[in-house]
Amino acid sequence: MEYVDSLTGFRLDGRRPNDMRQIRGEIGVVAKADGSALFEMGNTKVIAAVYGPREVQNRSQQVNNQALVRCEYSMANFSTGDRARRPKGDRRSTEISLVIRQTMEACILTHLMPRSQIDIFVQVLQADGGTRSACINAATLALADAGIPMCDIVTSCSAGYLSSTPLLDLNYIEDSAGGPDVTVGILAKMDKVTLLQMDAKLPMDIFENVMQLAIEGCKAIAQYIRGVLLENTKQLECRRGV
Amino acid sequence: MATNPSTYALSQSSDSKQRLQQRRRLFQETEWTRSDGRSFHQCRPAFLRTGAANAASGSAYAEFGATKVIVSVFGPRESKKAMMYSGTGRLNCNVSYTTFSTPVRGQGSDHKEYSSMLHKALEGAIILETFPKTTVDVFALVLESGGGDLPVIVTCASLALADAGIMMYDLVASVSVSCFGRNLVIDPTSEEEACQDGTLMITCMPARNEVTQLMLTGEWTTAKINEAMELCLDACSKLAEIMRSCLKEAASGSS
Amino acid sequence: MVGLSEGEKRFIRGGIAQDLRTDGRQRLHYRPISVETGVIPQANGSARVRLGATDVIVSIKAELGKPHPLQPDKGKVAIFIDCSPTAAPMFEGRGGEELSTELSFALQRCLLGGRSGAGAGIDLSSLVIVEGKVCWDLYIDGLVVSSDGNLLDALAAAIKVALSNTGIPKVTVNLGASPNDQPDVDVSDEEFLQFDTSGVPVVVTLTKVSRHYIVDATSEEESQMSSAVSISVNRHGHICGLTKRGGAGLDPSVILDMISVAKHVGEQLMSLLDSEIAAAEASAEDQ
Repeated sequence: MEYVDSLTGFRLDGRRPNDMRQIRGEIGVVAKADGSALFEMGNTKVIAAVYGPREVQNRSQQVNNQALVRCEYSMANFSTGDRARRPKGDRRSTEISLVIRQTMEACILTHLMPRSQIDIFVQVLQADGGTRSACINAATLALADAGIPMCDIVTSCSAGYLSSTPLLDLNYIEDSAGGPDVTVGILAKMDKVTLLQMDAKLPMDIFENVMQLAIEGCKAIAQYIRGVLLENTKQLECRRGV
Repeated sequence: MATNPSTYALSQSSDSKQRLQQRRRLFQETEWTRSDGRSFHQCRPAFLRTGAANAASGSAYAEFGATKVIVSVFGPRESKKAMMYSGTGRLNCNVSYTTFSTPVRGQGSDHKEYSSMLHKALEGAIILETFPKTTVDVFALVLESGGGDLPVIVTCASLALADAGIMMYDLVASVSVSCFGRNLVIDPTSEEEACQDGTLMITCMPARNEVTQLMLTGEWTTAKINEAMELCLDACSKLAEIMRSCLKEAASGSS
Repeated sequence: MVGLSEGEKRFIRGGIAQDLRTDGRQRLHYRPISVETGVIPQANGSARVRLGATDVIVSIKAELGKPHPLQPDKGKVAIFIDCSPTAAPMFEGRGGEELSTELSFALQRCLLGGRSGAGAGIDLSSLVIVEGKVCWDLYIDGLVVSSDGNLLDALAAAIKVALSNTGIPKVTVNLGASPNDQPDVDVSDEEFLQFDTSGVPVVVTLTKVSRHYIVDATSEEESQMSSAVSISVNRHGHICGLTKRGGAGLDPSVILDMISVAKHVGEQLMSLLDSEIAAAEASAEDQ
């Protein structure tokens, strides 16, 4: 299958190879949570909710010098094209939960909140490729909304390599082509990589290009997220009458 | 049939389908006789006994027509370690079916819906404050399912709780009514349940005139609900009498 | 789950007794309801309903299946509800399962009618394509995104709206040569049939707090309830289902009283939803 049109250079959904899908972020979608956000990347749509910092629920997990960060990733029954009743805690969601937890833990200043617990719940409403990245972006927004101290904002984006072209932000069809898929998470301001995952194989020099493309994507998302946070803060200020 | 005598005939699926449809038509008519010869407003004879299982703190056996249920109650005993402290007691209910309870051999699995219904029916009657930090387990096993299973389970469970000496405000009696066209039929058999238009089940504490749980499906007018509720409540108070006499008998027998 | 001080509890109960609740509503007033359709493009129909801070999404998917051998002239409908941990941390892992199954059963009871199909909100015989062979299986999936009480009413409303938004693909059938063959079914991806949702009931939950009962309780108010009765009412004012929650018993006359109140409130809710559905459809056509 041709994933990039050899004549026009357009992808299946009409994007150019280094185009990202339309992104949208919204803060405060779950009223009862301490922080929450919705993040869309094209048709991929996820909700993240943050509860905490609060008392540790299970005493045996308590850490005395830092906060305990927990994460649960779940997919709605209707999130994929074919309806499947998925059991909770299957391998895939456990793995993604772990990835998100480790990525977010790296940016949260956990030493400021000893003996407490922060829960991050991400719920996929629609899956169309790049759920991992979308979840991390949503979690960043939700953590910021909850006012949890972070050293920087983490953003994530994926890139792939199909039809000898590096492609930014794969959708479901491109993702299921089985080609290499590099997911990168960066700390935007510090310019540090906190998450790097790839399946399939790729020559070293091409990998660098693909990773660079993904990092560019992350930076673009970081810019957008900063804009969303700024807008939200302005509104909060406005409500307080400052 | 006379020309081809057969001692055993396998019931064919198309046959049973036709019969089901025939029956459905029959039930729509205003006058028909029930397969067990009861009148519409007559319950099946109830047989109740306490002390059916020795290992349990309390138990009861109930037989309403073809429906046979055994309930054992354990506790109050210490709650699981993982449970947080609770100032009131906990009630844990579980309803399961045996593999041979239905005409077609079943899975013999737990019935989640009935378990939660049983819990909701009983929790209002038990004085949970009398056993803090502990749990009472109610295990109901349906030996044979012959219609009106849930009401029988609830009735039998409250008898078992009384046998176990768990403090209750009153005995909980339960009766269901099926609706066929314009008719109301009390205490339906499974044959009748398969064709019903709607059903109303009430669990109540007759002495306090309180409904602890009710469930209704199908389309009903208010007047009909009224009529069905009255019918149920009347039957419940009579059933409670039978339960009480069963308990009295057990108490006088043991002393 | 809801931690309230003694004073807050008394404030809530006192407000209800004086017909002025903590958010300024009267006892029989709903919170503002907002309806959005077509939120899940992959589904045949979907809706998002927000009732104050309660937020639910319902999606409807139709798949080809085989009718039940005992009911060859009927399609199948299944309702599954999921409680997302985003709504409350207690739903994490298997924590939400108990509530999810309870909500699923309650909705099945309230919307799918009796054994013979009387009082069902969805006409199952309209889902049959070839009698005894092919039918539509309708999967109704609900997701609780945010929870602030009265989930059952919100989910039932969302199902009603989602059904009105559902398009079932038109099918053409080529019957096989012999009657035992599985017929060929050609599913059109252009023409869709709309559902008749006029018969789908609305669910009104009356929550009893001390001596009075209220509609559309928030989770704070629900923590103070002694019992709650959910009543499903259809367009003709008939009762299509009823379930009770909560420990305390109720006097039979109170139940009858609640039913008549629910009928009245249900009428208002029904017309409100109708206008919301019409508005959502109109805005969808504009786009």
